[in-house]
Amino acid sequence: MTTRPGRLWAWPGELRARGILGINRRNADFVLPANPRSHYPRVDDKLLSKKFCEERGIPVPETYAIIEREGDIRGFPDCVRERPQFVIKPASGSGGRGITVVAEHDNEKFRTSGGAELELAEMRYHLSTIISGLYSLGGQQDRAIIEQRIIRHTAFERIAVGGTPDIRVVLYRSVPVMAMVRLPTRASRGRANLHQGAVAAAVNLRTGETFGGVCKDRVISEHPDTGATIDGLQIPFWGKLLDAAQKLAEALEMGYIGVDFVLDATVGPVVLEANARPGLAIQVANRCGLAHRLEFLDVQPPEAFAPTRRAELVAALSEMK
Amino acid sequence: MNARRATPWVACLLVLLGIVLVGLRAYTRRELQLASGESLWRLTYTVKFQTETAGARLSAAFPFDTAHCRVFRQNVLHPELQPERLRSSLMASRGIDLLTLYPGEQNMTAKFDIHLSRRGRFRAHDQESSLSAQARAEWLRSDKLVQVDSVVVAETLQNIRRETPPSGDLMQRMFEYCHNQIAAGEEEAPTDAVGTLQKKAGAPIGRARALVALCRANKTPARLVTGFVMEENDPLEPRTWVEVWSGKRWEPFDPENGFARELPYNYLAVRRDGGDIVRVARGSGLETHFAALRLPPGPGAGRSKHHSLVALADLTRLPLEMHEVLSLILLLPIGGLVTAFFRTIIGIRTFGTFTPTLIALSFVFADWRTGVFVFVLVLLAGLVSRTFLDRLKLLMVPRLSTVLTLVVLCIIFCVSLLDMLRLTPGAQAVLLPMVILTMTIERFYLTSEEDGTGFAFQLLAGTVVVAFCCYLVLRWAAVGRFLFMFPEAHLFTIAVLILMGRYTGYRLTELLRFRDFGPAHKPTEPRP
Repeated sequence: MTTRPGRLWAWPGELRARGILGINRRNADFVLPANPRSHYPRVDDKLLSKKFCEERGIPVPETYAIIEREGDIRGFPDCVRERPQFVIKPASGSGGRGITVVAEHDNEKFRTSGGAELELAEMRYHLSTIISGLYSLGGQQDRAIIEQRIIRHTAFERIAVGGTPDIRVVLYRSVPVMAMVRLPTRASRGRANLHQGAVAAAVNLRTGETFGGVCKDRVISEHPDTGATIDGLQIPFWGKLLDAAQKLAEALEMGYIGVDFVLDATVGPVVLEANARPGLAIQVANRCGLAHRLEFLDVQPPEAFAPTRRAELVAALSEMK
Repeated sequence: MNARRATPWVACLLVLLGIVLVGLRAYTRRELQLASGESLWRLTYTVKFQTETAGARLSAAFPFDTAHCRVFRQNVLHPELQPERLRSSLMASRGIDLLTLYPGEQNMTAKFDIHLSRRGRFRAHDQESSLSAQARAEWLRSDKLVQVDSVVVAETLQNIRRETPPSGDLMQRMFEYCHNQIAAGEEEAPTDAVGTLQKKAGAPIGRARALVALCRANKTPARLVTGFVMEENDPLEPRTWVEVWSGKRWEPFDPENGFARELPYNYLAVRRDGGDIVRVARGSGLETHFAALRLPPGPGAGRSKHHSLVALADLTRLPLEMHEVLSLILLLPIGGLVTAFFRTIIGIRTFGTFTPTLIALSFVFADWRTGVFVFVLVLLAGLVSRTFLDRLKLLMVPRLSTVLTLVVLCIIFCVSLLDMLRLTPGAQAVLLPMVILTMTIERFYLTSEEDGTGFAFQLLAGTVVVAFCCYLVLRWAAVGRFLFMFPEAHLFTIAVLILMGRYTGYRLTELLRFRDFGPAHKPTEPRP
């Protein structure tokens, strides 16, 4: 791991020169103008996002059951009897909160991917807290989704600890502008959430090869748990993944979004969710700011955004530093 | 025009509008002329006394609002004394009870700015239209100094009745008897009713008590009123007069100066139970000094008609009791401003958007030591109980309500405990935003479960820092006074908020977060 002795802060001028996008500018100049408020449910409600994906043939984890009311919880054991592995997630959750991944169970005891063992009563309680809106964005009533657990692709075997890595692509005006792969660590308790200590590596947009890395906002290049290099990995199905991301961004009609994928061993890229306010750590992972790339797209003529010509834009963006 | 370009214009417009409105009102205020027959006064109480123990009580009565008199500003200073309660009873007196915290010399000063109107144009707050049985009994009572049961009083009343023709006004005769037949006494003159009637001479208070005794013996409720006659005087001596229940209203009589049923407008009632204006229990060496000073026309009292637009914006015209609440409400946006600054310019994250503001606001109005003590204890107790509740696997709303109930109980018992420890808490500590505290406890618990205890403490620290800064701004008394005088100054607040809303620069915390992008950084291991 590389730690960097140096200054404790950067001057605003320096960040501006490197094209770093701050939260304020992201919100005021990109999220607010590009994402119409009325379309937010399409990304905030995972069931609705799934519907958009399914309609356009973009693979998503198969939904086993939706639990909408307290009364439905009674039927939970029947829903999962035939499913040795599954995931429970709130339909309107954010930041990976409220997600439980069950790796095996005998309908009485449920073992999570993190190794914890939960009783049936505890699973029921968990479902009930999801429904009561504990994890939903505004605290409103929510629904619990029981869906297929993705079997992670062998490509990530050595660099993912206790969970499934996911791939985040940020798109502006339906063009992929930056991408990264997020790798769970022990510190992140198997989740691919950066603020919980997961590691991120940048992905070259054109080639789908990883480079660089970030953990807790600091630059690194090896996995903190395994010591394996996270540099130079080829993400399988990269072209397919970018196509799916662009198709979804167009369908959602959101100008500035982040789309999260996981790689299934058989199906390839599967969409987990979309995010209307994707985080900014992707810049640290890429060691490059987003602002210059977004500004570059803003000055392109409309015809440059035609689906057939987007590859040129992506190639140009991937060369930008 | 796009949003980015429109924002500075809107902000400028708001600032201009604010300047014009504040300026106009400040100008008209300076130009204020009082109507004829109206005057502004400052009444000052200076009180000094000694105590040998803590817990001695000082009770001071404050002037009533009547049709002729309106207190538009009140400032009570009591550096070493703890307010016990603020009385606003219309029956006997408005005022304050203060407890001493330490033995030794104690001081209290109170200043009242008073608007007097000869025409009686104010809304009176002291009018009773009926008398309860309890009040009637109270105002017919016999006591040590007003000896209603005495033979002397009965005989005098008998004599007055005899001399009054059947169609005559007995009340008027009793008053005239006390005014004309009883001489103003010398220094040694009696001060009780019987003594005054026997000697046919008495001190001013003796004559007033004599009249009260006669009325009460005649089964007419009567009471002594203590107050001031507003004249430019230092010292100003308190006066005593009488109010008699006519069946519909209280009618004033001043046997000393010969005013019946109607008093000059500059009579200012302060107490209506015959007691002294300032009293001390368990203290000694009470020195009271009253003074009245005529004020030039100024803010808070003017010619503005009740229904004019200018009067609408003039909050000082409202009854004194509303001032504190309105000032509090007017301070809220300032808290919002501080919060917005911390979130968008500095980038500190907190639990809930307005949680720090509300906590700070409650500290401004409580004694901050009590506030911090209660706050910390409630947070700890809440977290412990929340951890316990988690084991019961309760549904959300009943669980939150349980935590709320525990928070409420905790606050109540904290106040009780502080009292037991003789740390006499401010009752305002209860103003702590309980619902907000409950949500903070819940969020703290969830955050530490979901994102780790470190992150939860980081958020808590952010909340405390922002709350502390809000507190510093909110307790700046000059801000509160200015906003109360010129509520339209909040147009500036909106302008600043709008500008902040379009601030697209880096947050201070981002300068740290992205520090690896500084020039010192050279990308490590460049890709081959």
